[in-house]
Amino acid sequence: MSIEMAPTVKDLLFIMEQVWLSYMDPEGIDPLIPIDDEPVASEIHAWVAITGPWEGNVLVTCSRAQARNVAAAFLAMEVEEVPDEDVADVVGEMANIVGGNVKSMLPPGCALSTPYFVGEGEGPFRSPDAVCVAELVGRWRNELLSIAMWQGRNERVEVAA
Amino acid sequence: MSLSPTDLAFVANLVRRESSIVLGPEKEYLIEARLVPVARETGAANVADLVARFQRSPDPRVRQRVVEALTTNETSWFRDREPFRALTDMVVPDLVRARASSRHLRVWSAACSSGQEPYSLAIDLQRTLPPGWTYEILGTDISTEMLDRARKGEFSQVEVNRGLPAQLLLEHFERVGAYWRIAPGLRRAISFQQLNLAVPMPAMAPFDVVFLRNVLIYFDVETKRSVLRSVGRLLRPDGWLFLGGAETTIGVDDNYVRVTTGRTSAYRLRSGAPMAAAGKG
Amino acid sequence: MRAIVIDDSRAIRLILRRIVGQAGFEVLEAGDGKQAMEVLAGLDGAPELALIDWNMPNMNGLEFVAAARGDQRLRDMTLVMVTTESEQSQVARALAAGAHEYVIKPFTSDALMEKLALLGLVPSGAQA
Repeated sequence: MSIEMAPTVKDLLFIMEQVWLSYMDPEGIDPLIPIDDEPVASEIHAWVAITGPWEGNVLVTCSRAQARNVAAAFLAMEVEEVPDEDVADVVGEMANIVGGNVKSMLPPGCALSTPYFVGEGEGPFRSPDAVCVAELVGRWRNELLSIAMWQGRNERVEVAA
Repeated sequence: MSLSPTDLAFVANLVRRESSIVLGPEKEYLIEARLVPVARETGAANVADLVARFQRSPDPRVRQRVVEALTTNETSWFRDREPFRALTDMVVPDLVRARASSRHLRVWSAACSSGQEPYSLAIDLQRTLPPGWTYEILGTDISTEMLDRARKGEFSQVEVNRGLPAQLLLEHFERVGAYWRIAPGLRRAISFQQLNLAVPMPAMAPFDVVFLRNVLIYFDVETKRSVLRSVGRLLRPDGWLFLGGAETTIGVDDNYVRVTTGRTSAYRLRSGAPMAAAGKG
Repeated sequence: MRAIVIDDSRAIRLILRRIVGQAGFEVLEAGDGKQAMEVLAGLDGAPELALIDWNMPNMNGLEFVAAARGDQRLRDMTLVMVTTESEQSQVARALAAGAHEYVIKPFTSDALMEKLALLGLVPSGAQA
């Protein structure tokens, strides 16, 4: 796939804006604000793997607190009320939605895996020569969130149970 | 600077009058937050200043922006559905009889915004006009930004989810990056032009169908009258006018007669003769 | 009226349950197509509506649509895909397999309600 056709940060922002309007912020008053040059806490990783003519993954990274904020907004619950397994589910679903939208910009015939989620201490599955195609870092509710597209062979792609 | 309770009530009343949407006290935060960009656009120092300026000197454009900012999220395709059903089931068959010699229809989408209305009209006309018939659609709007968007014909995932049957998405759109773009075949028959309904209109060839939906609500009675008068002059004597769900010519302009069909109405010129120009082109 | 929500994401099932529940549907859930078939087998009659994700283990959404359309008992169920699969070819495949409508994620509750109104399952102008 040529460089010109690769999804860009603008595309990621565009997709995330729609995710925000649909689930996180239907009133349009609490958006994700893109920022530059700040490191994102990588306590939580959720991703979907893309396989086929294009290989890589779409990865959401943030702190545990932010993952909980995201889940609470998505489910319209208070932060304390959200069960742990739903935090994983929501952040995974976010990766799934972005992955699905990004997939339609890739060469036809790619497939999306079901979402993976890992908590503290682990990293996403990724080959050492994977390249970050685009990354959007945003601030929301005083915490950061990153959504990134990585291109590279997926080391281990399992059919999720 | 936060809005005072009086200002909040003023804005809530304005919105209720113009759109029938009620913003209760629990929506105060929404009023303030959504008006910040409008304040910025109009050069007001802050939201309180925006309201104060508007109260001193009510500009219809500001009124429109305020109401839009507090009510609309995105526009739908085939908005409200019934008028489009009336178009295909009643108006098109009627015009197919009446225009049998020219086999051509001229349609005006008079507040076309980001384009969903003119493109919806095109989809319906394409589907229902008999073979050999042609149509042209003019989309106008006061906002050049909206017109640029409408011309591009590119819509987001969230926008194409609104009221557009999946089958039509497949038939009339192509995927372009993260957007869905209207197919070129459909675009050919549509042109876009900037036009302010509230000022004297340019001379144009008359139209068979006019969609003037959800824009009269932003105007005061006098302006409503003058818009309906101008539109009437641009409507064929046997043409059809569609207004928004909460709008009517009744009590505003006597030159129209209402035709009810199913759960909606359309309007036609009363005499069936062209309206006399009131000394202005 | 009953609706079955079929998605392997519990969060999405919750959101859909909330939207169609407020529209007056009694809501059933399943985490994949196979589980959905099991739930439906145990029912008296078929629900009016099924909201179906595409990518699920055991039996995916497309397979479920084909199975439902081939099943005498489930024939009249309105099948609406609710999925991230957004390529034209995917939309075409789903409609060809018998899905009645297609909602692409992310979707707002207004958008879903309008699709249901299009299908005659809720009155026009109904808000969730």
